[in-house]
Amino acid sequence: MNTITRFICTATFAFVLPTAGQAQEIKAEVLHWWTSGGEAAAIAEMANAFKAEGGEWIDTAIANGEQARTAGINRIVGGNPPTVMQFNTGAQFHEVVDNGMLNPIEDVASANNWREVLPEVLIEATNRNGEFYAVPVNIHGQNWLWYNVEAFKKAGVEPPKDFDELIAAAPKLKEAGFIPLAHGGQNWQDHLLFDAVVVAKAGKEIFKNIYLTTDGEALNSPDFRSAIETFAALRELTDEGSPGRSWNDSTNLVITGKGATQLMGDWAKGEFIAAGKTIGTDYGCTVMPNGYIMGGDVCVFPKVDDEEQKAAQSKLAELMLSQDVQLAFNKKKGSVPARVDLDVSSMDECAQQGMTALKDPEQQVGSINYFASSDLTGATRDVITQFWATPSMTADEFIEKFASAVKSAS
Amino acid sequence: MDSQITNAGRPRFRNLAAVIALIPATAAVVVVYIGCMLWTVRLSFTSSKLLPIFDWVGLSQYSRLFLNERFSVAVENIVIFGVLFIAGCLILGFLLAVFIDQKVRGEAVFRTIFLYPYAMSFVVTGLAWQWFLNPTHGVQKLGRDLGFENFTFNWLVTQDMVIYTIVIAAIWQGSGLVMCILLAGLRGVDESLWKAARVDGIPAWRYYLFIVLPLLGPMIVTAVVLLSISVVKLYDLVVAMTKGGPGIASDVPAKFVMDHFFERNNVGLATAAATMMLIAVASILAPWLYQTYIRPAGRVA
Amino acid sequence: MTMMQASGRRPSRISAGTIGIYAFLLIAAVFFLLPAWIMLMTSLKPMEEIRLGNILMWPNAVTFEPWIRAWSEACTGLDCRGVSVGFWNSVRILIPSLILSIAAGAVTGYALSFWRVRGANVMFGLLLLGAFIPYQVFLYPLVRIFAVTGIYNSFACIVLVHVIFGLPIMTLLFRNYYASLPVELFKAARVDGGGFWSIFIRIILPMSTPILIVATILQVTGIWNDFLFGLTFAGRDNLPMTVQLNNIVSSRQGESQYNTEMAATILTAMIPLAVYFISGRWFVRGIASGAVKG
Repeated sequence: MNTITRFICTATFAFVLPTAGQAQEIKAEVLHWWTSGGEAAAIAEMANAFKAEGGEWIDTAIANGEQARTAGINRIVGGNPPTVMQFNTGAQFHEVVDNGMLNPIEDVASANNWREVLPEVLIEATNRNGEFYAVPVNIHGQNWLWYNVEAFKKAGVEPPKDFDELIAAAPKLKEAGFIPLAHGGQNWQDHLLFDAVVVAKAGKEIFKNIYLTTDGEALNSPDFRSAIETFAALRELTDEGSPGRSWNDSTNLVITGKGATQLMGDWAKGEFIAAGKTIGTDYGCTVMPNGYIMGGDVCVFPKVDDEEQKAAQSKLAELMLSQDVQLAFNKKKGSVPARVDLDVSSMDECAQQGMTALKDPEQQVGSINYFASSDLTGATRDVITQFWATPSMTADEFIEKFASAVKSAS
Repeated sequence: MDSQITNAGRPRFRNLAAVIALIPATAAVVVVYIGCMLWTVRLSFTSSKLLPIFDWVGLSQYSRLFLNERFSVAVENIVIFGVLFIAGCLILGFLLAVFIDQKVRGEAVFRTIFLYPYAMSFVVTGLAWQWFLNPTHGVQKLGRDLGFENFTFNWLVTQDMVIYTIVIAAIWQGSGLVMCILLAGLRGVDESLWKAARVDGIPAWRYYLFIVLPLLGPMIVTAVVLLSISVVKLYDLVVAMTKGGPGIASDVPAKFVMDHFFERNNVGLATAAATMMLIAVASILAPWLYQTYIRPAGRVA
Repeated sequence: MTMMQASGRRPSRISAGTIGIYAFLLIAAVFFLLPAWIMLMTSLKPMEEIRLGNILMWPNAVTFEPWIRAWSEACTGLDCRGVSVGFWNSVRILIPSLILSIAAGAVTGYALSFWRVRGANVMFGLLLLGAFIPYQVFLYPLVRIFAVTGIYNSFACIVLVHVIFGLPIMTLLFRNYYASLPVELFKAARVDGGGFWSIFIRIILPMSTPILIVATILQVTGIWNDFLFGLTFAGRDNLPMTVQLNNIVSSRQGESQYNTEMAATILTAMIPLAVYFISGRWFVRGIASGAVKG
């Protein structure tokens, strides 16, 4: 990566853009679902950057991603699209692209060398037919194990580095009066845990192949089978109040010292911070082995004909992935920047740990959303959550159901 | 319900204004009730995902639906729920009505207590009951706090039992309605019947079961119809109480459809499931509606 | 058997049967009151006390703070204005929906019972059938229609949906009521040369008070308690109280504040409960005559 070129680029834009912006105030309506405390503070960083460039930011925040997406898509269909719209990184917006409803932002991408600063899997996820259609704005690590430091001290065991160690530590944790794994039994949380276990036990290739292939090879591999066994064994580590519990209530169990660990994305960090806990002394974070499972958000740009709107789109696309905005946004959001060329020494310990993992291409694992349609995600999610809730279901039954879910949705 | 009162024999007048006045309702029927229904049925034969498209894939969404375990769980649940909920409401409602009808003191108070849940929404009902039945702070904890260490009531988090908790909550909400309807019926029963029964030495339970109950037939039909409608529409209660869990154990067809429309972006499968709901309801209701409303209108007295 | 025989319609003295009757009614009353009692107690306790259990107990330290929080501070996402937002949204949705759906039902019912319009019976039959069909069947096409016409997720949208789906029951209600009115009045008005609207306003409407009350009770309760339509059609600025309540309870931040949640739940139930307690027998009558409503 040529730092000098990059420096010149950045400097040029820093110089050129404000003047362009001041000439005429451009309006941009941004539809998103960043509505929780940290999220809203994060999006405010973007809005401020846009305002500083002379733009007018019209904020349309709709709590709950599903509703926000439905509203956005309906507005696109109804001919009244927002300037920018949020999606989760991945296949979610591919159908929108295929229906010719989005503007590509390839120009901005190539002008700013996005292909060189973004992780490979992220480029794949935001490209369609070889063109950029989305700006990745963050990466959320999804396979973090959060733990209560005190709990492990009391139980006299080391905080686990992987699931086997967690299972091994469980009896002592239980004896000391802790819930070994404070899991919230809602289908997406079950799925998050499942994917983390599969990557940890079977590796990222098999993880991807169980969803994307139908030949049964990955599904019947011994590694996947051992992942299923581990996943099943984790059931014993939860408590009776687990089914249906929301993730934040589970995080709260870890914070208040009732639970020892929770597997959750890095958004859980905000809960620890809000509760006034210190990393290292009160709680700790570990990425589960074999890769950093990356989720995250992107922004897409609905097709507009108005030249001014198009200009606003290009400008926002550029701004959203600029170094300063990336750093400021992700610090507030609790995620890590989408570009790997940033100096993250000012970010917290967990974020740095995540960033280190991200810089190694081997460790980059796109989450299920990166490659699977919401249909496929949903179909397999039903099977996973059913398996998690049904201790009597055997691995063979699970594999059979999983295979038929994949087949039906592909 | 005055279903027997029809227009047969009433003189009516033709008038342009009357035609115009019926336009909104007709528009609603044509556009929404018929139009949207046909559109949904049509979509169920397409491969639509996020956006509706109008290709033709035959019955493939249906075959996928029937292979879908979650859907079969949902159907099974709605059958269990339907039978137990209707039966439960009828039995409890009937008992309440009969007992209240014994000229008890404070009848109005009892009636008020038994009927008030019916004024509450299913969301409120669901939240109240999920709090009450939650094993970590609800009735199970209560039992243990009272000294019964092994007291267990964890149906809400147990796959095989969770649907029954929804039944209980729904009966709590709906049986007052049945009581109300049947009580009105009981009040219409001729008192001399009871006197005659007393003279014949017929015990009270036989009097109510074999003499009064058959007289309440029309009221029971009304109650069953009413309850069946809430069975088919069962959605809010499940969302508020269990979100369909644990696992997929308390899923119901309406939730299956909603999730596939809006969360899964799978319009084809969702419309297929909605069409199945439609077929189920129509096959039960069409004869009844025909019998009650359409046929008598043509049978001029 | 002897015990049962003593019961019957006129128990004149305290007997085993009487005790049995009251015992049954009291146990039933406990079953019906328990969830509400627990909700109320929980809403009046500070969180520390809730964690101790004893859900049945009267609070050691009664606090109204959860109620204040629920009303004006509880958060859905970033929006921390409590359920009061949903309350006012519900009120705003309720008033026009109520007036329009009753007006539509009254006029349609009137036209159907006194006037002869070709095909009206078929239309009415289909309308009734529509009342029974699960809403999921209509939902998605409606979303698309509203999206294309540009009113999706708006105030007008949710009101329109309530009017459309309130139409079958309202029509049935008024049609049946008008069918029971003496037709001579109507005939006389016709002889006097009254037109469609003038008869409706001068003769029929003044006689409609009882059914208007029943319709109002039904619709207030029904519209207030709606969840599905609000969720699907109202849009974020108009979310009704039920939807907001569910959002608050499944909020994604911090530890769940059970007392606040329970207070919010009770607040959401307030309006229909008030209607119920105030209207008394009318409510019962509403149920009986609107029996077709789901």
